[in-house]
Amino acid sequence: MQTRRARPLLGTLVDIRIDHDGIDRARALAAIEAAFAEVAEVHRLMSFHEAASDVSRINREASRAPVAVDPRTREVLALALAFARASQGRFDPTVAAELVGWELLPRPANAPAPARDADWRDVEMLDDGRIRAAKPLWIDLGGIAKGYAVDRAIERLAAFGIEHACVNAGGDLRRMGPGLEPVHVRDPSAPHRTARTLLLGEGSVASSGSYFGCAHVDAMKRTPISERCVSVVADRCVVADALTKIVMSDPAAATPLLGAWDAEALVLERDGAELLGRAA
Amino acid sequence: MARPRALWLLPGALAALPAYHAAYAVQYMSVAEAQKAAFADASTFAPVAVDRAALDAALAAVPDSALGTGWAPQVFAAKKDGATEGWLIVDQVIGKAEAITYALALDAQGAVTRLEVLEYRETHGGEIRLPAWRRQFVGKTAGDPVRLDADIHNISGATLSCRHVTDGVRRLLSLHAHALKTA
Repeated sequence: MQTRRARPLLGTLVDIRIDHDGIDRARALAAIEAAFAEVAEVHRLMSFHEAASDVSRINREASRAPVAVDPRTREVLALALAFARASQGRFDPTVAAELVGWELLPRPANAPAPARDADWRDVEMLDDGRIRAAKPLWIDLGGIAKGYAVDRAIERLAAFGIEHACVNAGGDLRRMGPGLEPVHVRDPSAPHRTARTLLLGEGSVASSGSYFGCAHVDAMKRTPISERCVSVVADRCVVADALTKIVMSDPAAATPLLGAWDAEALVLERDGAELLGRAA
Repeated sequence: MARPRALWLLPGALAALPAYHAAYAVQYMSVAEAQKAAFADASTFAPVAVDRAALDAALAAVPDSALGTGWAPQVFAAKKDGATEGWLIVDQVIGKAEAITYALALDAQGAVTRLEVLEYRETHGGEIRLPAWRRQFVGKTAGDPVRLDADIHNISGATLSCRHVTDGVRRLLSLHAHALKTA
């Protein structure tokens, strides 16, 4: 027995599919409900758009006084900063200022203008769990929170005894259960075509494509990247999500990071494809 | 890890796969399932006729979500022992590349209690807005170049857009205020 549901969350369509043979339908529906609730929680905490989110509070207040946040926000921010450090800033959660400049994100209300030279090194995680910014800056966890939400949803389903499921948040997806199933990666130059197919077992894949105007920022040069399409496979979706952005920015420099996280990447350029990381 | 994680099917490795020319389409729930999910103890779902004037007034109140003619949400009043518990409204939004049919549940005060996607279809600009009852005939046109492929369960590298649902919900809340609100 299979049940599949979708809701608009995290700025995309979040799709949850479970196989629940041996589990009664009411419990299966409750599991899906709990998984969506968890995704909605991540959305509420980490949305750049919502004034009451932890992210918006950091952007408004952290340069003036430390801000207390939910442990989940702290976990995602810590991971974002770890990826920023490991990638020498190729992944940087403080690029929101550029995204706002290009009108890809709305200007946060009542937040001090970010310092021109602010970057991830100006975000401090205090021992008491609060967040402080050394100078005014705008963080956006959009490049990583979606993958994190997918991981949390899978964990909620597992807590209900679901063993076979797939959660897909607009192309960031994680699967658990026996067997392998195809995931179609779209061709960035012809969106209605499948460029490559991945057989996914237990693990995650995240992709970035320029298709549909999805924007990526080169965090070093602070310019948009658009030519390349990258898919990363990793155990956790949050890791796949973050690594996707780093590979987008610089595939060669990202290769050691893929190894460190036991991940692999498929890079589609206009003139061909290349596999990087553990499968290469 | 005991179970395999992933295997890329690349041209040259195994059989090269033909490029799919398929639109992604998923049916998630029926209207009846959405009704039951939103109002578990309601005994009837009575269709509510909404006239064109009420639709126009509702649209006029949310001018920045302007939508052409053909807006035809289906409204059901969820009733238990004759009393209205709330409403379930089925509507569709059409974006640049997708069409989404969704159900919005409102309680007796008009507050949103649930939002479910019933159907998601990629269209790549090939679809026009049609009332739900007419859609059953769409897609059966001979020579349609886009095939709906039941094998595509999972796609990556495509951002499934839901932007228009937000505007759709605003229109439906306006519809409630103009045509359904009882107090």
